[in-house]
Amino acid sequence: MSRIKDLQKNLFGGTTSNARQFGMIFTLVAIVLLFQIWTNGLTLTSGNLIAVVSQYSYILILAIGMLMVIVAGHIDLSVGSVAAFTGIVVAKAMQEFSLPWPVGILLGLAVGALIGAWQGFWVAYVGVPAFIVTLAGMLLFRGGNQYIGNADTVPVPEGFRAIGAGFLPEVGPDTGYNNLTLLLGLAACAAVIWRELKSRQTRREMNADVAPMWISVLRMAVMVGVIVFATLRFAGGRVGTSLPISGIILIGLVLVYSHYTRNTIGGRHIYAVGGNSRAAELSGVKLKRVNFLVMMNMSVLAALAGMIFVARSSASGPQDGLSWELDAIAAVFIGGAAVSGGLGTISGSIVGGLVMALLNNGLQLEGVGSDMVQIIKGLVLLLAVAFDVYNKSQGRFSIIGTLMRPFRRDDPPPPTGTTSLTDAGKAPVSG
Amino acid sequence: MIGVAALLTLSACGSEREGAAPADAGGSAAPAKGFAADALIGVALPSKTSENWVLAGDLFTNGLKEAGFTSDVQYAGASTTVADQQAQISAMVTKGAKVIVIGATDAAQLTTQVKQAKEAGATVIAYDRLITNTPDVDYYIAFDNFKVGQLQGQALLDGMKAKKPEGPWTIELFSGSPDDNNAGVFFNGAMDVLKPLIDKGDVVVGSGQTDVKQTAIQGWKAEGAQQRMDSLITSTYNGDKKLDGVLSPNDTLARAIITSVKGAGKDIPVVTGQDSEVESVKSIMAGEQYSTINKDTRKLVAETIGMVKSLQAGNEPTINDKESYDNGVKVVPSYLLPPVIVTKDNAAEAYANDPKLAPLTQG
Amino acid sequence: MRSAPVLLEMRSITKTFPGVTALADVNLEVRQGEIHAICGENGAGKSTLMKVLSGVHPHGTYTGEIVYQGEPVRFSDIRASEHAGIVIIHQELALVPGMSITENIFLGNEPRKRGGIDWKAAQRRALELMAEVGLQEDPDTLVKDIGVGKQQLVEIAKAFAKDVRLLILDEPTAALNEADSRHLLDLLRGIRGRGVTSIIISHKLNEIEAVADTITILRDGRTIESLDVKADGVNEDRIVRGMVGRELHSRFPDHTPNIGEVFFEVRDWTVRHPISADRLVCKGSSFNVRRGEIVGFAGLMGAGRTELAMSLFGRSYGVYLSGQIFKDGEEVRLRTVSEAIDHGLAYVSEDRKAIGLNLLDDIKTSMVAAKLPKVAHHGVIDQVREYRYAEEYRQSLRVKTPSVDEGVTKLSGGNQQKVVLAKWMFTDPDLLILDEPTRGIDVGAKYEIYGIIQRLADQGKGVIVISSELPELIGLCDRIYTVFEGTVTGEVPRAEADPEHLMKQMTSTKKTPIR
Repeated sequence: MSRIKDLQKNLFGGTTSNARQFGMIFTLVAIVLLFQIWTNGLTLTSGNLIAVVSQYSYILILAIGMLMVIVAGHIDLSVGSVAAFTGIVVAKAMQEFSLPWPVGILLGLAVGALIGAWQGFWVAYVGVPAFIVTLAGMLLFRGGNQYIGNADTVPVPEGFRAIGAGFLPEVGPDTGYNNLTLLLGLAACAAVIWRELKSRQTRREMNADVAPMWISVLRMAVMVGVIVFATLRFAGGRVGTSLPISGIILIGLVLVYSHYTRNTIGGRHIYAVGGNSRAAELSGVKLKRVNFLVMMNMSVLAALAGMIFVARSSASGPQDGLSWELDAIAAVFIGGAAVSGGLGTISGSIVGGLVMALLNNGLQLEGVGSDMVQIIKGLVLLLAVAFDVYNKSQGRFSIIGTLMRPFRRDDPPPPTGTTSLTDAGKAPVSG
Repeated sequence: MIGVAALLTLSACGSEREGAAPADAGGSAAPAKGFAADALIGVALPSKTSENWVLAGDLFTNGLKEAGFTSDVQYAGASTTVADQQAQISAMVTKGAKVIVIGATDAAQLTTQVKQAKEAGATVIAYDRLITNTPDVDYYIAFDNFKVGQLQGQALLDGMKAKKPEGPWTIELFSGSPDDNNAGVFFNGAMDVLKPLIDKGDVVVGSGQTDVKQTAIQGWKAEGAQQRMDSLITSTYNGDKKLDGVLSPNDTLARAIITSVKGAGKDIPVVTGQDSEVESVKSIMAGEQYSTINKDTRKLVAETIGMVKSLQAGNEPTINDKESYDNGVKVVPSYLLPPVIVTKDNAAEAYANDPKLAPLTQG
Repeated sequence: MRSAPVLLEMRSITKTFPGVTALADVNLEVRQGEIHAICGENGAGKSTLMKVLSGVHPHGTYTGEIVYQGEPVRFSDIRASEHAGIVIIHQELALVPGMSITENIFLGNEPRKRGGIDWKAAQRRALELMAEVGLQEDPDTLVKDIGVGKQQLVEIAKAFAKDVRLLILDEPTAALNEADSRHLLDLLRGIRGRGVTSIIISHKLNEIEAVADTITILRDGRTIESLDVKADGVNEDRIVRGMVGRELHSRFPDHTPNIGEVFFEVRDWTVRHPISADRLVCKGSSFNVRRGEIVGFAGLMGAGRTELAMSLFGRSYGVYLSGQIFKDGEEVRLRTVSEAIDHGLAYVSEDRKAIGLNLLDDIKTSMVAAKLPKVAHHGVIDQVREYRYAEEYRQSLRVKTPSVDEGVTKLSGGNQQKVVLAKWMFTDPDLLILDEPTRGIDVGAKYEIYGIIQRLADQGKGVIVISSELPELIGLCDRIYTVFEGTVTGEVPRAEADPEHLMKQMTSTKKTPIR
């Protein structure tokens, strides 16, 4: 019994893990297994995994930015339009002024930053609710896309397509796998092991309880197992295919933004603003700057997502980015963020996004029509959030509070007044 | 639990590199040999916005089944068309479809998926809409769309002459969605007939809007056409100025145009159409819409399935045009079916074999 | 009173939440027509007991028996208990601010006529009810436009509209000033005469002593004792002993101040209301603070104490018009909160939950939130250092929690207040401004908070304490300023402070000279 509890408590990042995320990982695994069986093993083939990553990387990139926007207590409805607008600007610029593609990418990011600054200005400094600002932005930039593109489809040059449709090149000896992907996988395994050991070290320095060694080993084994599996799958695709470039961009962004939101002052400030903006302000947080940067960052990521999509589609079209905002927002909420802000993690949102992506993919592999797919996705979103609301209504205050309780203590606490595990003071105080 | 899952899947792990044939082995467009008689055939169609696509989907499902194939017919979602279709084609490739028939939502945005299909050894047939910007499309099958345009242009002239024998005639031009390769072809076909008369002054475009960009209706949306027609009436035909004819590329837009004109209290001009939609056939019989084009979807689907069958047998499918359809990268071998113009006069004859439309033409 | 028939009996009530036993075998006996006080520290189970009684925790979620008017009852929700004439008025008032007094009184209980609401009857009845509770207002006034004291009366009128037989008031005077509190207590005595029984939960022991007939004391979810106020000769100390299980010799820890030089001074501070440009919330206020000194700010609610404090703290309230701040002899400009923090100011707000804490945070995150760079390297937070600081404060302030990883919502009011104090001590301030530092906190925790304040002063920091409770200021502070209508109206050294004198200055603009 206590072993199982230890396991629950420690397997997925111990005390800092959000339990809904924990639930979502199980859901994800369940979905994968379900479809793996249902599609006779097609789901986990190299080809399919590669396709899924390149198909949904841009939505997941949007989810990263959206998570931060939602945590800060806002929403961004304009991401799809911003993506489409950036796409057409970049495609046109490359077509008409024969801009080299790397400059095109920089131009796209600059356009995103500019749009973000515009939206951030209205949200942070004028105080117009983000819902309104971005609803306006949604119209503005959709119109901008059609104005600039004449509602036409504009192709992009070969080099540019790499960020959406490219793969790691084949180098080195013929191992039967893509060598660069193998190297990346190896590095990831090393990083996972290093991080686990480092976190044990940190826990020890903090004099906090350290998980039993066998749990660390198990956790590392599972993670390494997953990484090895994924690596072999991605490296073992058809010659010429491997881990998509867009997937690498996504992984890079996830790592950077996870670190930022979790471990830096700037990240803390975002959570503080979303959790209680007045309290944050009275603690010296520069509210306006945080709001501005969060909105701006979202648009930059939307620009990047737009370019990746255009690259993958090899052309920028008038229907790019339609209803992307909804997919990104759904991913974030399925991943455990709170509608009222202040709660949520990047990794949760990515898991939420993957749940949607694999659901989509699995149903498509099964030949389920897009009408049914939408119905099922809608239900999944509703149930995921309803699950959370139901938990809260069970007299348990918050999702973290609720779900962390069984993860943290081995025994239920005795009645109020005498709860103490490590309390050295044992003061006869009241509370 | 996760550990178990990981182990399970790990044991099934291996490289797919040995199995798959290298992409450039065959070299030619079609695979050297045929494939299994019950192979999977994927059909990716745009969203269900017109009756024709719904009908085509049903015909493909049944036809492919009768021919002994396994079929997977997919429509793109209504709101996320392009991305949806991309994902659907990828899924078909993953499932190992031997032939993928694509009715593209956006002709230029499928390059990556088509390439992927090609590399996996599938044959790609562009159905009704040519896929552009890629070397990886094998065949194109459609009605002769340039001819469709020409017939529309001619019908417009004939209709106007019948009402008012002497010119000059005042007309307005509409064209289809700019992301649909066919829209331009229709328009060019029609202009092939109309342009000389416009230049001569026998036909006058009232608003002066003759460029395909000005006349385009995004997404073939009825409300777009209605809005444009409303604006034209307000800007150009607000007084007694009479509008004799409207070139409409299809039936949905034609009906929207007629609605707009009726709403403004004007006489209904000669309006062309295409697709033989039920409502439009009714409208033609009622004397409102002037013409439509019968592009018998049954025939087109049947021909496409025929193409799939010859590919299955390892034969080169029948092609009747190797020059006209350049997608920007290569000239795609095409099979073109002849369209038929339908007016009130020949409707009964044209739809004689159509169970749904034939009753409408009686009486 | 003991002779009156029993109205309500709760027998062996046990209520558990996942992992916690909130009530263990609690018994309560309330007689017809009495005022029955329930006392206990925060977390003792008072509110839970009332929620069981009123059906918020429905029958089936607890064990035990409730006998009401001689019959066992099983309430499935609040409506059921209200139907039986039991009405609970919570600490957080359940009024709709944008609705009128009449609308609020009849909310959910509207008099009907032919399918619609009979507003005429409602109006008439509202006026009667308002007269009963002594509320003189136009019944069409919006609730948001009347003071907290009057809002409380609206709540009671609302209860009367439901034919209340047993009225439960949870901390009814917590947010009221003295005059309003007195009025409310008089009202309770008045309705007792009319046969309405009340149960009152309060931390203000002097009020309980004055008004209650019977007192039931809870501690740690158990019934400790039931006292008959008159027969048992109950006084405040007696109640405290029951609540904490030991004698408290004094309400304030012994302290010998060690006061140094004036280091912080404010001159002619003038600030206007954030929205209405012609309303001054601070008018030429001047005061100073010495090192090691605890300075009190006495004033009635709405006197502008909080506004003064917040406007000093990086202009976080209102619009600054004029005035100067001197620190260590030099003028400083504190235009933003971070500037104020950098200059060694700290402000502990009166409303912990609304603006003091992010309730989603855990303890350690809250404690370091106001000065993150102190635990960071190049913007990256060092979790070991964060944890160590938090752990240090947990021990030195005796925050009662198993771990600093716990969420702050799981702490009681007193412990939350300690976390907020830790948060501001962590910024190494020279001057701490504590706004109502003991509001909603029980006796034992108050004593501890006073001790912390004195320790801070002993470290040479200046401490400003803003409080509505005069005994608290007199017991704790070395010097007291009085504030009235946004102006500092007087200054009294501890030795000369007496409530009457202070109250006079708190209610008049006449200035006494300031040194």
